Amino acid sequence: MVRVLIDRLVGALVVLCVMVAAIPVLVLFLYVIIKGLPGILTPGFFTQSPHPQGVPGGGVLNAIIGTLEIVGIGSLLAVPVGALIGIFLSEYGRNQLGDTVRFISDVLTGLPSIAFGIFGYTVVVLTTHHYSALAASIALAVLMLPVILRATETALLLVPNALREAGLALGAPRWRVTLEIVVPAALGGIVTGALLAMARAAGETAPLLFTTLGNDIVQTNPLQPMGALALTVFRNALVPYPNLQDQAWAAALLLVIMVAATNILARVYVRRIQR
Amino acid sequence: MSRGTAERVVPTPLVAASRQRRLVSGDRLFRVIAYGAAGLIILIAAIFVIALVVPALPAITKFGLGFFTSRVWDPVRNQFGALAPIYGTLVTSAIALVIAFPIGLGAALFLADDARLQLLRGPLSFLIELLAGIPSVVIGLWAFFTLTPLMRDKVDPFLSHILGFLPLFKGTASGYGFLTAGLVLGIMVLPIMIALSRDVIRAVPRELREASLALGATNAETTWSVILPYARVGITGAVLLSLGRALGETIAVTMVIGNTMQISASLFATGYTLPSVIANEFTEANGNLYLGSLFYLGVVLVLITIVVNVLARLLIWRFSGSARAAA
Amino acid sequence: MKRVLAALSVGASILLAACGGSNTGTGGSPSATAGTPVPPAAALQGTGATFPAPFYDAARFAYNLKYSQVTVNYNPLGSGAGISALTKKVVDFGASDVPMNATELTAAGGADAVVQIASTLGTESLAYNLSGVASGQLKLTPKTIAGIFLGTIKNWNDPALAADNRGVSLPNQAISVVHRSDGSGTTYIFTDYLSTVSADWKSKVGKGKSVSWPVGQGAKGNEAVATTVKQTPGAIGYVELAYVIQTNMTQASLQNHDGSFVIPSPEGATAAASQFLAINPTQFSIVDAPGKTSAPISGYSWLMLYKDQADKTKGTALVDYLDWLVTDGQQYAVNVHYSKLPANIVKDDIISLKTVTSGGSTLLNVPAPS
Repeated sequence: MVRVLIDRLVGALVVLCVMVAAIPVLVLFLYVIIKGLPGILTPGFFTQSPHPQGVPGGGVLNAIIGTLEIVGIGSLLAVPVGALIGIFLSEYGRNQLGDTVRFISDVLTGLPSIAFGIFGYTVVVLTTHHYSALAASIALAVLMLPVILRATETALLLVPNALREAGLALGAPRWRVTLEIVVPAALGGIVTGALLAMARAAGETAPLLFTTLGNDIVQTNPLQPMGALALTVFRNALVPYPNLQDQAWAAALLLVIMVAATNILARVYVRRIQR
Repeated sequence: MSRGTAERVVPTPLVAASRQRRLVSGDRLFRVIAYGAAGLIILIAAIFVIALVVPALPAITKFGLGFFTSRVWDPVRNQFGALAPIYGTLVTSAIALVIAFPIGLGAALFLADDARLQLLRGPLSFLIELLAGIPSVVIGLWAFFTLTPLMRDKVDPFLSHILGFLPLFKGTASGYGFLTAGLVLGIMVLPIMIALSRDVIRAVPRELREASLALGATNAETTWSVILPYARVGITGAVLLSLGRALGETIAVTMVIGNTMQISASLFATGYTLPSVIANEFTEANGNLYLGSLFYLGVVLVLITIVVNVLARLLIWRFSGSARAAA
Repeated sequence: MKRVLAALSVGASILLAACGGSNTGTGGSPSATAGTPVPPAAALQGTGATFPAPFYDAARFAYNLKYSQVTVNYNPLGSGAGISALTKKVVDFGASDVPMNATELTAAGGADAVVQIASTLGTESLAYNLSGVASGQLKLTPKTIAGIFLGTIKNWNDPALAADNRGVSLPNQAISVVHRSDGSGTTYIFTDYLSTVSADWKSKVGKGKSVSWPVGQGAKGNEAVATTVKQTPGAIGYVELAYVIQTNMTQASLQNHDGSFVIPSPEGATAAASQFLAINPTQFSIVDAPGKTSAPISGYSWLMLYKDQADKTKGTALVDYLDWLVTDGQQYAVNVHYSKLPANIVKDDIISLKTVTSGGSTLLNVPAPS
């Protein structure tokens, strides 16, 4: 009898645990939506850069363009390289070199994000004597690399060997088999990996702190400091001006929407490809 | 054979040979590119190490291992010690695990294979995964504006009232500090803990579970006596990976830790963590020793994170290996 | 209501003063006011003090409306960061509330390599969060301020505080001290003040951009100190005046050198500055100034740049901007609760700016001040 009671109790406890685990995300979403909507719906939020105190209006145009450009350039660097490494790992990587690469990739995934900021600073900012969006892009590229490479390798490994053998049997050289048969078959996984990596990069703040520094003006030159949504959220959270704090919440909502949209896009794309 | 896949033209021997050479050299080129890419990531890792360690050398040579036992952090007198941020990092991570381990394990048990409430499993799983995707700065924003006043006004006084005799809960709470930061970290590592534990629990062979139930054990008893002991190694790995994540979390913690270089027994006190010090003071550090000390903190942080992560993966790999063997 | 009016008037004055430049600055008409030169196109980058940040922000916005070819990006990260960034040559100009000291100058290439000019005059408040105690009601003396920040006065109902505040009911609540966590010129000015008025503070803590605070939690930048104080009941922190007024915070009345209790204001800062006429980068302190209306915790803020500019175009734009900042730009300071620079300081600044060269030739094309 007692045993049954304990069983029920543990059963209930376990359900409680999962409910408790699901609460933070709901609360978070609720707050970000409620506090962020007023800011997003203010006219000028998407079309203006921040105004100084006393000048009404202002928005986060500089940050939106900044995030898109910084993550864009970072992806241009990370996706091809990451995909190539993934191809290497699945096609040529059943050896010690491959294991080393996998180990390095695993280590990089676990590193604190601030380490990438330090990397970007030392390698780019100090050598070019300039804070720049490029430094941030490079830092984010290194951050995205392991994610993309792992996703590519996994996707390629899922492609049945029969496909490869068929291509080779028909006389195609190995590189053509890989590029024209295997990779297209694995494209869903690769694109998903890339999208998820980009979503993560867009939300990162620490690598941006001392690379791109931030900019209150719209800037498209990657060799100059640029603003970013994550920076806007971080810095505006700590200023005492209510309108800037509203912008922080609104920028946070925007970030969450962007990240969620990218995740959903990735899933939809995979489902489409799998058909 | 040098025919292309779609061509039906019969090439002359000379043309065939040169085509074959071209195709083979295409292969060789591709191979070079692929190996080159692999070499690139190794190069990046090497540069990473150099970029982190070389600027830290002035501090490493000056302070050596004494860096880890000194509480002093004085940019004016150029004396630096890592004890305070190391303490903060360990305390907040410990709190995070104390919160995330039981809740995460419980949630994982439910999500792994609980027969009840099947319909809820999908959405709940999805919700928890979503949490992992929320940017750290957004969680920090929420923690700064919403969680901190809640802690200060409701939770901390409550804890002080009930457990105030413990040195852990002495003093007045400002809402910022170790406890709040630990709580935020706990929330952030929950998804990883749950996802990994769920996979570990799922990997336990069904036969063991069914055998136990067939012998008359209840679900709870099966979990306690059969599944958990079997999955022990894997779950430890999950805990360690969550720890690794907690150790390196920067932004959300920086917003609520209180930015004070101090060691205090009370969880209500404000403090500092390794990543937070670096994030806050990096841009203004002037002078090789100050900057070097920050880099030294970075080296320490990266080393701890690598060790924990590698250990975690070893455990999980060993567990999944043995589980596969037993299946 | 008052705040809305103030905001609108600032906004209106910025827009009016920019002589018809559009918001997006489509090739704005460079109608140069007498003396301020038209700059070449450039993107200027500066970082540093948070103390003058509201002024710099208003100024760069107005300057860009006037001369759309010049954008100035200023990131307030703290005085320490400003000096550090300039030394590493990753910015065009640095900003700090305390000029570079000998060590910092040596690291930057020597005292002759750097030009330092005073850009604005401000004053610090002690902002607090006590329900029921309105702004100005709380009276603080040098002794009580030192006591609070040393940790010897721990509670709001401490007898030392009650003695100065008869008639004000101070609650039984622990004092939460908030100070800066980053290298800060604001901290320098504040600790300079405390070292001047309290021998105890001077021996135990001293003055500096970063000190070993006996008590309290740290926040990064003036803004974060203000936000933390606003959010934490029972908190007190030292914040530049602009932040306090712009966000309607409650601040204390401070007893100055002459014994009168003043509420920090731009006029108080001007009064304090008038007591110290010989100001230069090695002698710049104006804390604890005599004078009935002087605000006790006041200070200049400084901008520093390299005397030899590598890029001629950028260097020209930089000195042009700075020349405008200390002359016509000063009107924007007043709108955001800073004080205009005294005339003699402006003169010194222009003389200093005229020493900036690139490839041997002077960049600033204005007549030498008489």
